[in-house]
Parts: sequence; C-alpha cells; structure tokens
Amino acid sequence: MNRRDSLRSIASAGVVATAGCLGVLGGDRTVLDPPEQDLSAAAHPSHGDELPAIELPDPIAGEEIATEDFNGERAVLLTFFYTNCPDGVCPALVLRLRRAQEVAAEGGYSDDAAFLAATFDPERDTAPVLEDYASQQGVNLETGNWHFLRPESYEAGQTLYEEEFGLVIEKAPADNYENLEYQFPHYGLILLANDRGIVERAYPNGAGVDIETVVNDFEQVVTA
Amino acid sequence: MGGAGLFAAGATPSVFDSNDGGTGGTTGSDGDTDKGGDETEVIEPMTIETIDAPGSRDDEVTVPATEQPTFVDFFGTWCPPCAEQMPALGTASDRVGDDVRFISVTTEAVGRSVTESEIADWWIENDGDWLVGADPTAELAAKLNVSAYPTAVVLDVSGRIQWSESGVHTADELVTEIERVLDR
Repeated sequence: MNRRDSLRSIASAGVVATAGCLGVLGGDRTVLDPPEQDLSAAAHPSHGDELPAIELPDPIAGEEIATEDFNGERAVLLTFFYTNCPDGVCPALVLRLRRAQEVAAEGGYSDDAAFLAATFDPERDTAPVLEDYASQQGVNLETGNWHFLRPESYEAGQTLYEEEFGLVIEKAPADNYENLEYQFPHYGLILLANDRGIVERAYPNGAGVDIETVVNDFEQVVTA
Repeated sequence: MGGAGLFAAGATPSVFDSNDGGTGGTTGSDGDTDKGGDETEVIEPMTIETIDAPGSRDDEVTVPATEQPTFVDFFGTWCPPCAEQMPALGTASDRVGDDVRFISVTTEAVGRSVTESEIADWWIENDGDWLVGADPTAELAAKLNVSAYPTAVVLDVSGRIQWSESGVHTADELVTEIERVLDR
C-alpha cells in the first residue's frame, strides 16, 4: 500500500467517523452559515459546493497532492498565484494563508490544516524559485502543511483552473513592467474547505479581504 | 487615492469587489481605501520588536502607540516598490518629527527565514534612518489588513485606522495623511 492509498483509506474512515457528527451540525455539510452575499451563481465554487478534486505536483516535496487526500484529514485553504506577480496581489493572497498557518501553529492544529498555493506559471515557478518565495513571504515549509502546486505546463494549469475553479487565466504581455516579459492578469481567489471537502467560504477579492475574517473563518472550520 | 494603482493590472470579473463575507456579522473587506471617521474599530496595541539599524535600535515598541498617532509602513526586503518608497519615507519622517510614532515593519519571518542583520543590511542600502521593526508572524499585518506591499497605515491617538493605502507614495502624500491625524 503506497502513501496515497493509505491516505485514501484513512479518508474513507474519516467520512464514516464524521457522519456521526452531522446531526450535531444540523444535517448541514458546512460549519459556517451561508455568507451574507450569495455567491452560488459565481463561476468559482462557493459555500456548500464540493472542493474540486484536483491532483498536482508539489515540486518542493516531490510528491503529488490530491485535494481528495485531505478528506477526513485536514481543512484546506487554497489560492492561486505566481511568483512574478507584478502588482502585489499575490503576496497579499499568500499573506492570508501564511497568517492562518501561523495561527494554526500557535493553536496546535497545524496537522488539521493544509495550505495550497497553486501557480499559473510553472515555467518560471520551479522548485528553487518557490523555495525562495516561501522564504521571502515567511511561509513555513517545515510544518509540512504547506504545498505549492505546480501544473506540468502552463496550458495544463490554464485548463484545470478554468474547468474546476472558473478561474480564467491568460498570458499577457507585461509591457508596463520592467524586467517582466509576461504576466497573468487574474483576480485573487481564496477558497476555504472543511475536512469533508466542502467549500465553506470563497473570497473572490482574496487579496483585499480582511485577514482576520479569513483567519476567524478558518479557525472555526478547522476546530469544528 | 494617491497611491500607485496596484490593482490596475488584471481582469476584473463582476465579483471582484465582493466577498462571501465574514462570520458573526462581520462583513468582508472594505479594500485598501480611506477608513475615515471615528467609526472604525480600535486596534489593540501589540509589541513589535525593533531592529538594530540606523535610526533604530534593538528594543521593543507598542504599535499602535497609545500616547500619540502612529504611522506604519509595511515592507519586505524582497519588494522593489518598497525600496522605491524609502526616500519618500525618509523625507516624511523628517517632516513629521516626533509627533508621531513612525515605523517601518517587515512581515518577513525575521528569526526564521531571514536574520535581523539581513534586514539591517537592506535598511542601510536603502538609507533608512527611522524605527524599523519585525512582525514575524504577520499578526500586526493581520490587524491592519495589509493588502499589498508596500502598505502605509495612519492610526490616530485612539488607535483607529484613519488611512490605509497600498502602493508607492510621495513624501507629500504621506505627510498630508499623517498631518490629518495630528490636527485632530
């Protein structure tokens, strides 16, 4: 039995175990109530939807990460970024996940959470580049709960992100930035899913959303 | 908005300005614009360790300050626009003097992924000459909701955010916003 298979069986066991808790949660699949603003019509997944099942390499750890492997195991905070992001949006997205990572460490539940940052730009975002970026942005790779995800190619990522997350990415010239050949205009999406793989919150303005809102939502979900 | 249009680049779907919202009645972000008025919440002061560097020393200070208004510049040594803003910060700090707690704070994990002396080296290279501190777990950045780098935040003497804006600012812009809380 390889690691993935063993994670899968733990995951199924987790589903059985949590089934007993559903009554406590009022039969709902989520910990958090629906958001004030209904985003169910948005292109991206939102409250109550299943977190799309994707599988991408973590080039630093050298392993495949499948979102389904976290079912029954960990709550998930997921965002999309690239290290050459010229406008400051990506560090702001990563900061929100990183703060939640710090809070999880302080609260002693690092092992109940996974932080996933998926790049649009696998050509430039290689393992060493991502490691440097983690260091710059204060991300802790030692805790084992942070994974950078790197599609095999730009096109593979583009298709996956659009089909699964409604996130349309296009490579655009970066004429207005020195030393930058191309960029990926995008909006900053952060998704929070519980450990049953159900989306609790989508933050489509993820770079500007209150950090403490994200962290409080995350804490409620991860400690439920 | 006086700052550079940091969010100018990018597709803007119709949901860009919306959020799922928070819990317990909190709403989503109000972005990186003026907080204005006295209705914003009081930011609970926390201790920030300061770094031995020109204009700064190995010590600790309270942010926001409780006896005077506070100006915070959030930066990272990896961030070119942060370096670009340093001359403006220097001029602004000279002009507002001691009437305000004027501090630059890095959100880098000082002590884990970078050392204090690396911060001090960057500080010297960029002619920093005022207080510089570390927010190694991004706790202050969370309280003040950093939404890009650099982000400038002005808090009044009661600890309420009166202005917060990301991007590279001029000294005049910074001084104008700081003086607005000094006049209050």
